[in-house]
Amino acid sequence: MADIVQIPTVIPPLPPNWSPKPASGKSVSPLVDRKLIPAGPAYLAHIRRAVHNLSFEEHDK
Amino acid sequence: MAVNGSVPNGTAEAPIEVPALPTVIGVNFGNSYASIAEGLPESIANEDGERQIACAIAFHGEETYIGNQAKQQLVKNASNTIVGFRNLLGKKYSELPKDTATASAPVIQHPDITDEPAYKVQVLQASPSPLPSAVNTKTNTPAVSQTATPRSEPVLVDRVLTPSEVTVIFLKSLLQSAEDFLGKKVDGAVITVPSWFADNQLEALRKAAHAAGINVLQLLEDAGAAAVTTTSGPQAAGLNPDRTQLVVDLGASSLSLTLLSIRHGLFHPLASSFDPTIGGDQIDNKLIKFFAKEFTKKTKTPLAVCPSSDKADIRAEARLRLALEHTKRTISASPGAATCSVESLKDGLDFTGTINRMRFDMEARPIYSAVYSKARELVESVGLDFLHVDEVVYVGGSACLPGLDETLAQGYPESTVTAFASGTIVGGGVGDPTTLLARGAALQAKLLAEIGHSGEDEEVRRAFEQGSKWAAVKATSRTIGILFPEEGADAAGLGGQWIGVVPAETAVPVRRSLSFDVDLGDDAGEKKVGFEVWEVKEGIKVEKVKQPRDEDEELEEDEEEDDEIEVKEKTIEKDIHLASLVLTAKHAQKQKGRWRTKLEVQVLLGADGAVEISAWEVGKEGKGEKTSVSVPSL
Ligand SMILES: Nc1ncnc2c1ncn2[C@@H]1O[C@H](COP(=O)(O)OP(=O)(O)OP(=O)(O)O)[C@@H](O)[C@H]1O
Ligand SMILES: [Mg+2]
Repeated sequence: MADIVQIPTVIPPLPPNWSPKPASGKSVSPLVDRKLIPAGPAYLAHIRRAVHNLSFEEHDK
Repeated sequence: MAVNGSVPNGTAEAPIEVPALPTVIGVNFGNSYASIAEGLPESIANEDGERQIACAIAFHGEETYIGNQAKQQLVKNASNTIVGFRNLLGKKYSELPKDTATASAPVIQHPDITDEPAYKVQVLQASPSPLPSAVNTKTNTPAVSQTATPRSEPVLVDRVLTPSEVTVIFLKSLLQSAEDFLGKKVDGAVITVPSWFADNQLEALRKAAHAAGINVLQLLEDAGAAAVTTTSGPQAAGLNPDRTQLVVDLGASSLSLTLLSIRHGLFHPLASSFDPTIGGDQIDNKLIKFFAKEFTKKTKTPLAVCPSSDKADIRAEARLRLALEHTKRTISASPGAATCSVESLKDGLDFTGTINRMRFDMEARPIYSAVYSKARELVESVGLDFLHVDEVVYVGGSACLPGLDETLAQGYPESTVTAFASGTIVGGGVGDPTTLLARGAALQAKLLAEIGHSGEDEEVRRAFEQGSKWAAVKATSRTIGILFPEEGADAAGLGGQWIGVVPAETAVPVRRSLSFDVDLGDDAGEKKVGFEVWEVKEGIKVEKVKQPRDEDEELEEDEEEDDEIEVKEKTIEKDIHLASLVLTAKHAQKQKGRWRTKLEVQVLLGADGAVEISAWEVGKEGKGEKTSVSVPSL
């Protein structure tokens, strides 16, 4: 299973008049090319997923 | 034997075959010093008890010295003492800078191999045994009476060694030390290399290691080994699994800086620099001059060093250089004064000098300051500020010096985590800069040794090789996070609780899961939880702030202006609204008059840039219904 990060702050109630803003339809900013250093257990997990073409969920099992 | 007769007589229980895990080690192979580690926090000592093993080989008569003993030979037998060979691996003679003064065996053009660097040393070689009598007699019958030829004296011969051959001898001795220490054969090793090593240098090292009998599991760049060590095991308080780490590697002959993006154990360099003019050797030069002056003051004997030209001065300088190793270690280990003692420094006169830390730091300041400028340059080269450096990791012997950290602390903020602040730097703590690389390499060796041998495992293993296509990834360029709107939140601010989820410089695909307690108010009606997903712009705000003045501090008029200090602060600005998500809370519990629920949020960012954001409550009966929204791919 994925690590779940516990956030220590308590989330306050929504403002009474809040309604969800409609999605803008925009995507995230362009991704950039990087080179991982091939080391450590997280890299191994990353590679196992990639080599076996697994999603995170499939890899959890 | 079987008590209840369930085991038939005469049958031995078959031993359960537990395949022994291979014995693997990590080797930090610097240009000046090497160290070895296995899984333990301490590194491995060689037979002389050294954990920082000098990369030096000396020939004296029939003897070959390796390590710190070889370094001692730099005083009286410098021309037969080889140092600095690692950096020559894979280099052509014509590529090397010429006319560099050396206090050791000079690098020459190899007499037989074109454009190959080499060292020429003199060794005593046992003379060949007398030729067999067969030469004298035509038949194979031994001559009737032949006086035994006395074994003649060994003869002085020239021996030519290439940097590769020297490396083989040296690595062999490291392997031997490791095997002696562990009491078993070593099955494989990860060896650290500088990030600037070119392919032919890597290839030369790989070959030399192979010739030394080492099964190389991986050549891992220094900063990678540092990152492995610092991301494994218990993490220092205040360290986020997503952080920007500055690796400061100050060795003997060089400074290497690497800025790493560390993201839940995955890491990639943002920038790196290398400077062969900044290092412990420069600190030594300053101190040698300092102590030489002291010597002259005490003994009225002139001593000209750094540079030295007179033979007696050259030797005195070499002696001081060796003695300083102890002086520097004392300064690093304790706040008191340190001594530098040399027997017969010059003209038969002994010398003992003392230096306190303040004076030491004064001498070393130019080197500390040079590291500071280089670090600042590096951070700024990728549009960041010291404010973004969450952690500084010190690597290399000279980074043990507290004065270096004190200097860098003028740049990085108080929240930055260092081994000095955590108190893990001395006494072989987890932050010990002299063992950090070897330990990282050992951890990595263990990881690789545990990969299996199926076809797919082989593919996985290859992903750790130099230039593997699997290491090339896409990463986010901006931080993505969620905003919980809040009544009456500062309108000029973000308008609620902001939580960064996927920071800029995170390799994709990535999954992040967060869990929160949510306050739903005191109303009994339908309760909603909602948030917005934003990509933000991050910046830095610089403000001039008047410094509060000490009450009884008397100030001269002209000092007034110095009262303003610059305060830097990170800023976040909402930029692109990506999505909003709302769900009805069905598992709320009343606590002290208010409704509360537990929420989990998962953000999945694919390799194509598409984002899926999901949220669900976690009640007594487990996960509630999942609500998701998505953001289109790029
Ligand atoms: N505890 C210490 N305090 C201060 N200086 C130290 C300490 N231990 C080692 N040094 C110095 O650190 C230097 C060696 O650093 P390191 O072992 O990182 O070398 P290296 O990586 O082989 O160096 P390079 O490749 O830069 O030549 C030497 O100058 C040595 O005197
Ligand atoms: Mg080094």
